[in-house]
Amino acid sequence: MKKLTSIGQVEWLRNKILADSGKGKTQVHVCMTGCRAYGAEQVRDALRDEVEKKGLSREVEVRSTGCHGFCAKAPVIAIEPLGVQYQEVDPADAPEIVARTLVNNQLIERLAYKDPKTAKPVFYRNQIPFYMKQERRVLANCGRIDPTRIEHYLAADGYKALVKALSRMTPEQVIEEVKASKLRGRGGAGFPTGLKWGFARQTPTFPKYVICNADEGDPGAFMDRAMLEGDPHAVIEGMIIGAYAMGSEYGIIYVREEYPIAVEHLKLAIAQTEALGLTGENILGTGFNFHLSLKMGAGAFVCGEETALMASVEGKRGMPRPRPPFPAQAGLDEKPTNINNVETFANVPLIIKNGWEWYAQVGTENSRGTKIFSLAGKVNNTGLVEVPIGATIREGVFDIGGGIPKGRKFKAVQMGGPAGGCVPAQFLNLPLDYDTLQRIGAIMGSGGMVVLDENNCMVEIARFFLSFTQSESCGKCAPCRLGTTQLLEILTRITRGDGKIEDIETIKSIGQTLTEASLCGLGQACPKPALSTLKYFLKEYEDHINEHRCAGAVCDSMVISACQHACPAGIDVPNYVAAIAKGNYQQAVDIIRERNPFPAVCGRICIHPCEFKCRRGELDEPVAIRALKRFASDWYFEHMGVERDPYPVTREEKIAVVGAGPAGLTCAYYLAKMGYATTVFEAQPLAGGMLGISVPEFRLPRQVIEEEVRYIENSGVKIMYSSPIDANHTLNDLMKEGFKAVFIASGAQASKHIGIPGEAEDCEGLYYGLQFLSCVRTGGDMRLAGKTIVIGGGNVAMDVARTALRCGAGDVQVFCLESREEMPAWDKDVEEALEEGVVLNPSWSPARIFNKEGKISGMSFTRCVNVFDQNGKFNPECDLDDTQFVDTDNIIISIGQAPDMSFLPEDSQLERALWGSLAVDGNTLATNVPGVFAGGDFTTGPTFVIRAISSGRRAALAIDKYLSGDQTRIYIPDEKTVCEQDTGLALEEESTEARARVKIEMEAPEKRIRDFREVEKGFSAEEAHFESRRCLRCDLEKRGD
Amino acid sequence: MEPKPIDWEKLASIIETHRTRKWNLIPLLQEVQETFGYIPPESMEPIAEALNMSPAEVQGVVTFYAGFSLKPKGKCVLKVCRGTACHVKGSRSILRFVQNELGLQEGETSEDYQFTLETVACLGACFLAPTMMVNKNYFGRLNPTKVSSVLNQYGKSKEDDGSP
Repeated sequence: MKKLTSIGQVEWLRNKILADSGKGKTQVHVCMTGCRAYGAEQVRDALRDEVEKKGLSREVEVRSTGCHGFCAKAPVIAIEPLGVQYQEVDPADAPEIVARTLVNNQLIERLAYKDPKTAKPVFYRNQIPFYMKQERRVLANCGRIDPTRIEHYLAADGYKALVKALSRMTPEQVIEEVKASKLRGRGGAGFPTGLKWGFARQTPTFPKYVICNADEGDPGAFMDRAMLEGDPHAVIEGMIIGAYAMGSEYGIIYVREEYPIAVEHLKLAIAQTEALGLTGENILGTGFNFHLSLKMGAGAFVCGEETALMASVEGKRGMPRPRPPFPAQAGLDEKPTNINNVETFANVPLIIKNGWEWYAQVGTENSRGTKIFSLAGKVNNTGLVEVPIGATIREGVFDIGGGIPKGRKFKAVQMGGPAGGCVPAQFLNLPLDYDTLQRIGAIMGSGGMVVLDENNCMVEIARFFLSFTQSESCGKCAPCRLGTTQLLEILTRITRGDGKIEDIETIKSIGQTLTEASLCGLGQACPKPALSTLKYFLKEYEDHINEHRCAGAVCDSMVISACQHACPAGIDVPNYVAAIAKGNYQQAVDIIRERNPFPAVCGRICIHPCEFKCRRGELDEPVAIRALKRFASDWYFEHMGVERDPYPVTREEKIAVVGAGPAGLTCAYYLAKMGYATTVFEAQPLAGGMLGISVPEFRLPRQVIEEEVRYIENSGVKIMYSSPIDANHTLNDLMKEGFKAVFIASGAQASKHIGIPGEAEDCEGLYYGLQFLSCVRTGGDMRLAGKTIVIGGGNVAMDVARTALRCGAGDVQVFCLESREEMPAWDKDVEEALEEGVVLNPSWSPARIFNKEGKISGMSFTRCVNVFDQNGKFNPECDLDDTQFVDTDNIIISIGQAPDMSFLPEDSQLERALWGSLAVDGNTLATNVPGVFAGGDFTTGPTFVIRAISSGRRAALAIDKYLSGDQTRIYIPDEKTVCEQDTGLALEEESTEARARVKIEMEAPEKRIRDFREVEKGFSAEEAHFESRRCLRCDLEKRGD
Repeated sequence: MEPKPIDWEKLASIIETHRTRKWNLIPLLQEVQETFGYIPPESMEPIAEALNMSPAEVQGVVTFYAGFSLKPKGKCVLKVCRGTACHVKGSRSILRFVQNELGLQEGETSEDYQFTLETVACLGACFLAPTMMVNKNYFGRLNPTKVSSVLNQYGKSKEDDGSP
């Protein structure tokens, strides 16, 4: 290519390229950067060969491009002008792509993106949700042009902005334009770019330097890399314009050497601009000189700091120095220097070419334009995302990112790397902009968004970042050198289970010192990961220190196997699964009963936190632990029955339990096991508590509850049926009767009211969830006819809706405040309800109930925009203009339950908690009255049965300690069972592919809704045997520790 | 096995191309590192002399940057990514697995100079997490099976230049 010596020659060249490029040619864009690790090179070559073989070289161009963004589905190819995107393409697909799509315009379903919910193929890129919410401006060329060819960039209007700046704008005008665009530094700090350029221009010393900071070192960030690899000329054009505006003649790109493709593409691009005369002496005949060179970093994170970066360019150790003087006054070689981030420069050509008015159309008041984020971690659609500044975090993680894989719960998103913080779920509706993120303790940073799910430990994440900053601290200033080491030591101690509660204050105080006294940004910001997790996840720190519990089940010192640790009751899962594998079903149940006396109940309705943490789930799918538990316990009751010898009474003290629900009975069972005579007082004629009242027969047959209760009774627990504790028989009476301790576990059985107009009137057809369920369960006359609305998004609401269907309701629709992702109901229940024909209407707030002559006739709703406010508080916000009225014959309100406190006299000395229940010590469950303990749903509010069980066992241990005069805290570590089972590791046996999780059989939806038969079927012995051998036995890794 | 002897002539010619050029210490060291796989300690004095600085300054720079090594490395340099995205996706287990397979700890080189095991703060390939790099090739979405196959790929090609 010949050197261009005038402005006009650029346009002349561009026209020539456009004419030669043969418009109308079909282009196949193959990502040759990120996708390369997935064999994109072979895909491209196969496509080229095939195109040639078919003699289509004149009609089809196979082009190597930069990143398409959708890295999760690599290798990705796009076919233009069709607009089709294919994913996970294999070289073997090439003949079909050429023959069908390129020649015949047919679409190939196998290679298309599949909607995760409907599994329908989406062929066109602009219809894939990942792209729909994006605004790809800076990334517009990325994935479309061949980054190694300047002609492609020119054809895409490249260097038009430079031409405009050089020919029609003074340097001052360029700066004004950038100022007006409100472009802020994309490297993280967000300083207004125009202002910065102005300072550099004003300093009268020469030469001046322009530096592009491409030392993208933040772990979790890869947007600069993609930019440099996919569209290097955009960055270079931005630099040349900046240099023109500031009056600089020398430019340096400081790039990480760990990015070989970026280095290669930059070298090529610089050589091309030199050859064309777009850099060098007398650019385009305008007299403006600009020499651009490339410097490679040598692997020091601190060199991302501007003063350290300059030291490194000068060939010294990359250590920061105090500012002022700022680089704009005395930077590189003591000369005025301007440093901007890659993405900042890449924005500049857009502003100059299209004008600031266009640029400022998107964004927030204080920062305009778009921001590129790299989405990684526990999110389905990992990749490169460009959104208008001010888009919400939820849009990023859920709408674009597609949510969390494997049905796990979102925990936080780490923003800004080691200098940033963790943003918890309550802030998902906040806008992504510099000021908001700063306010909540995170930063925009360079734009790394690493999504964390429930299987991540926040203390460990903080430790991880501190180990990074500690090793990257340059050591020049004492606060950073010593502070990072101390913080790391403390955090490591906590994750090892050796933390002290004072450590929390120490972290805060060291953090503050670091922030105030460190020399550079690395030190000032490094406590943020610790401080932000401390702020939003304090409980995780406390649990590590006090209880040796790690919410993510990752901290080695306290975790034997993740499944056991995840279980609130701490059941030794691997060993009972192994017992099933060996055919020792009775032993399997014995192992479960060491921690949980309700194996058959939990085998059916447990939410199985264990399965979400199962390590097998990282390979393919988790072991079906719950179904295995059901198999073993069903076998047990079938073959061994409910008979057993009672535990001998060895202690003198008698103990009373109020409520024969899962918490009460568990407590009584373990007290009996310890040798106490225990009596349970139950108000109802049946035991089982909420299990018998609110869980419908089709999920948990009455017979199963009966068997578990009989077994517990047979082990020595005395249940007094129809014996309420109330004004006639008070807690004081119990004490007088000689009970030395009482455990109150009377559940949460009072249905909450909404408090909307029309609710208070006593109408026919208006019900409350629990009352409805218990009426059905106990065989009451509950026939529904016509349309039925269920209000609520929780588990009880789902049970209510499904029960309503079985009670004759023709049509059941559920309305809830929450969006589908926010609904608290367990996914499995929601899906089963949907299968059965329940219609879900998320994001609607109930407004008014209507009746005609005392009979329900309809209900109105307003659209709920947000359930939680910007501080994460429950504070529903509605769009009053978006309303609907729905005809209905029945309304069942199921928005939550509260404990029924009416049995306690008003003047009871028991201290109440804020929400009406009793105040208890979280560790011992003791109330303020000695000898009185309370737990289960009664104190925690409605939760899952396994939590109630764990609370019951905790109470038993606490009561035993209390009666023994032991005042130490309750400590329930994970323990190995005495019945250890020896099986080999699944991994050693065979490959994982051949061992998919056994599917659990279900009754067909159309059949099951006819009656109350159990929906889920159990495993057969063969299925259970196969499934149990999928266990990886992570617990054995620790043997001998 | 001994590492390859240093080609002193080659070293001298690299130093010559950078002699007395401003700010060229790091590019020079990078070229030496690239050519020899490490910075031979004996080269620090001639480098210092060529750039008019003290050997102490050269050593200061060499030891500051993670990209320079004073010890020879293996033919295949494995960099297991320990970035955030990889970390939350289990790169710690991957690292342990690699350590066991190679019998090497971080920063160590095998006796036959075939493998060097390193960790890196972030490879910027977070979408592939957990990931590692062998020389200049990326490998992503690792699990034990995949790591084994990558190691085999490189272990078998001992005689050539270390590419698969």
